[in-house]
Amino acid sequence: MKKRFTLRLLLAFLLIISISGAAYAEYPDSPINMIIAFSAGGSSDVQARITQKYWNKYSKQRLVFVYKPGAGGAIGFSEIALAKPDGYTIGGLNVPHIILQPLVQRAPFSIDSFEYICQAVNDPQVVAVRKDSKFKSVKEIFAFAAANPKKLRIGLVGPNSGHHLMFLEVIEKFKFPASPVFYKGSADQNAALLGGEVDVMFGNLNDVMRSRDELNILGIASEKRNAFVPEVKTMRELGFDVVSYIRRAFAAPKGVDKKALAYLTDVFKKIAADPGYLADMKKAGQPEEYLDGSAFSKVVHDQYQHDKAALQKAGLIK
Amino acid sequence: MTEFIVPALGHLIEPWNIILMVAGLTGGIIVGALPGLTATMGVALMVPATFAMNPTSGLIMLGAIYVGAIYGGSNSAVLICTPGTPSSVATTFDGWPMCKAGRADFGLYTSLVSSAFGGIIGTVGLLFLAAPLARFALNFGGPENFWLCLFGLSTIAVMSSDNMMKGVLSGAFGILISTVGLDPNAGIPRFTFGYYPLVQGIEVIPAMIGLFSFSQVLYLIGSHKPFIAEFTPTKGAFMQVTRELATKCKVVLMRSSLIGTLVGMLPGAGGEIASIIAYNESKRWDKHPEKYGKGSIEGLASSESANNAVIGGALIPMLTLGIPGSAVAAVILGALMAKGIQPGFKVFTTTGDLAYAFIFSQFAVNLLMLPVGYLLAKVMAKLLSIRLTFVAIAIVMLSVIGSYAIRNNMLDVWIVIIFGVIGYFASRVSLDTGAMALGIILGPMIEENLGKCVDISKSLDGSVFDVFFASNITIILMLMTALSFVTPLIMNKRKKRRNAACACGTPKEDGHA
Repeated sequence: MKKRFTLRLLLAFLLIISISGAAYAEYPDSPINMIIAFSAGGSSDVQARITQKYWNKYSKQRLVFVYKPGAGGAIGFSEIALAKPDGYTIGGLNVPHIILQPLVQRAPFSIDSFEYICQAVNDPQVVAVRKDSKFKSVKEIFAFAAANPKKLRIGLVGPNSGHHLMFLEVIEKFKFPASPVFYKGSADQNAALLGGEVDVMFGNLNDVMRSRDELNILGIASEKRNAFVPEVKTMRELGFDVVSYIRRAFAAPKGVDKKALAYLTDVFKKIAADPGYLADMKKAGQPEEYLDGSAFSKVVHDQYQHDKAALQKAGLIK
Repeated sequence: MTEFIVPALGHLIEPWNIILMVAGLTGGIIVGALPGLTATMGVALMVPATFAMNPTSGLIMLGAIYVGAIYGGSNSAVLICTPGTPSSVATTFDGWPMCKAGRADFGLYTSLVSSAFGGIIGTVGLLFLAAPLARFALNFGGPENFWLCLFGLSTIAVMSSDNMMKGVLSGAFGILISTVGLDPNAGIPRFTFGYYPLVQGIEVIPAMIGLFSFSQVLYLIGSHKPFIAEFTPTKGAFMQVTRELATKCKVVLMRSSLIGTLVGMLPGAGGEIASIIAYNESKRWDKHPEKYGKGSIEGLASSESANNAVIGGALIPMLTLGIPGSAVAAVILGALMAKGIQPGFKVFTTTGDLAYAFIFSQFAVNLLMLPVGYLLAKVMAKLLSIRLTFVAIAIVMLSVIGSYAIRNNMLDVWIVIIFGVIGYFASRVSLDTGAMALGIILGPMIEENLGKCVDISKSLDGSVFDVFFASNITIILMLMTALSFVTPLIMNKRKKRRNAACACGTPKEDGHA
């Protein structure tokens, strides 16, 4: 009996020592959880895994991947927002998902629930058609849509997604009625375009790269041309002022320890400048673009105002 | 193609690749057999490991895990009436009665041989018909998939031909459950009752674990039996099964494998529908449909050959068009892309070495599965000689861990428990849990595809019926669905007539169920 008591006392001591030890040790002294809001093997996961490969080069602690997929990422994003802000839980975020989910689906977080570490990917949206499509340019598509109200079918992933916002912006700006057809994911969307169920699709560059041989990319909704498809003109060059992206970023919960945030920012910045990382990203078809936390935060807040106005105008939210 | 055959075969006889195939198969079968761990998860978990390998070895291993896991799902379906993966729901219909009748080894071997056969037919399709089939698969859009799912759902009518009302009621309950979560067409939450995690909906796998395995545990504990089922291994069971499959079930195996290959390559549909449709068709065309559901070897063979044939089918659009035909194919696609390999018809020329090594490895994997699966089946059958109390505890533990592992979410554990209770009471009043599972699986697909039809109809200035009648495939599927609903009536009539004509009773049956 006495022996057991001593043992307990010893364990209690050890526990206290280990806790107090943690408080004094330099951050990070244990592995850091990385929440991925999409399934393992998906595009977001592939990008984060490439980051992890180089993380080990600049940090002595490992990243532990935790998958929390569901509801288009909202489950994982909530998990990041509600995590303890001790710097040991961070995760990947997608924009405009984190803007739209609180607006449309009453998700339990907002764009102010996060401390942004950096932007890693800026995936512009493109206008794509089948190789044998009768449309050879964006201009022809828009002219057809204007002349034949509602006849043009545009494939989108959604609803209430980045693609949907681009669609709303286009029909609002260029005043033509078209029929959107929504798909659950980019695989279905690509299949529908190739099978002729829709005439055109607005999709991400990363997604159309998979079926590159079967598609013609007619325009890219980015500010400047993209190195993956340098021959494709931007929508602005083509005379249509549309800019639309899906961005991927890393973030910690709001109120995270300042020191921890500084450390994370530093490591991610080093990774983003690593030539090996850049080469791997290119190989995986991930349009890399680094922004630091504060620059990215500004982008998110600007886009929030813009998207909210667009959704209100379309009558999708009050 | 010919110039790639020799180097591709060269890859296959590398010892390292053979080890990876065997390891992948073993791991896959175990993952598939554990309720809650699915093929998708097994393959996804191993993707990071492939980053350290050369692309060919990595791809060969992922393919082996895929094949193993889809077959492995049948082990738990036969032994504890729990589909290990959603693809093996239809395997429980005849596998479990077989096990209850003390013929568990026959069930396991039937699954094994049928799976390998289906896998090989699917791979033949992949090897020789990839180009034309990929183009054909693209014809399946919203309206076609909508009717394909309804056709799958019509199985309920055939399944529960003796009490159609209860079957339909069970299916409707399943569909109702599937409406919880985000509306796929409006993107707003439904039936979440203010509890945010419900926006992700009721995940199929925990619901199935609950309906089948948890409820089974409740039932078994209440039954006071010492073991799950009586079982003494029969000598030469494997040879007997193989002989029976080669003679009696030739047509069933062939038809089911073709159905599997065709359904597999459709981007929206996978093993869960293929096995159900194959089962349905086997029963429809059989001279003695009444033996299905009572432990018939044909029923088991059709479901298992179809879901393994799906693999070859699902890889067709993935390799040629970059469009995955199943969730697992999507994960493998991700691994390919991460290696910088661009899918497309050129995959057979520019990276032909890799593509053909992968396809040939699929043949090898399906053949290797026979010895590997045989040994594992012997081990798994031992489960039946463990006392029920221990087995019950193990099943509950695995169910909870497996369901949590899907999304790392406590909600899924609650779903298992709640659906366990629902399943238990449902079988008490002889509602059909199989039909409920079909409703839960097919409900979201039906709704999503109907939404596309409505979207498309707006561009035609017409109704959804204009969309339906615009496609020949849809019209054929509509006719088949109608036929499927009438079949039970015809079958009942036939049965009555036969019973009247011949008083010597129904034909010989396998079942002691």
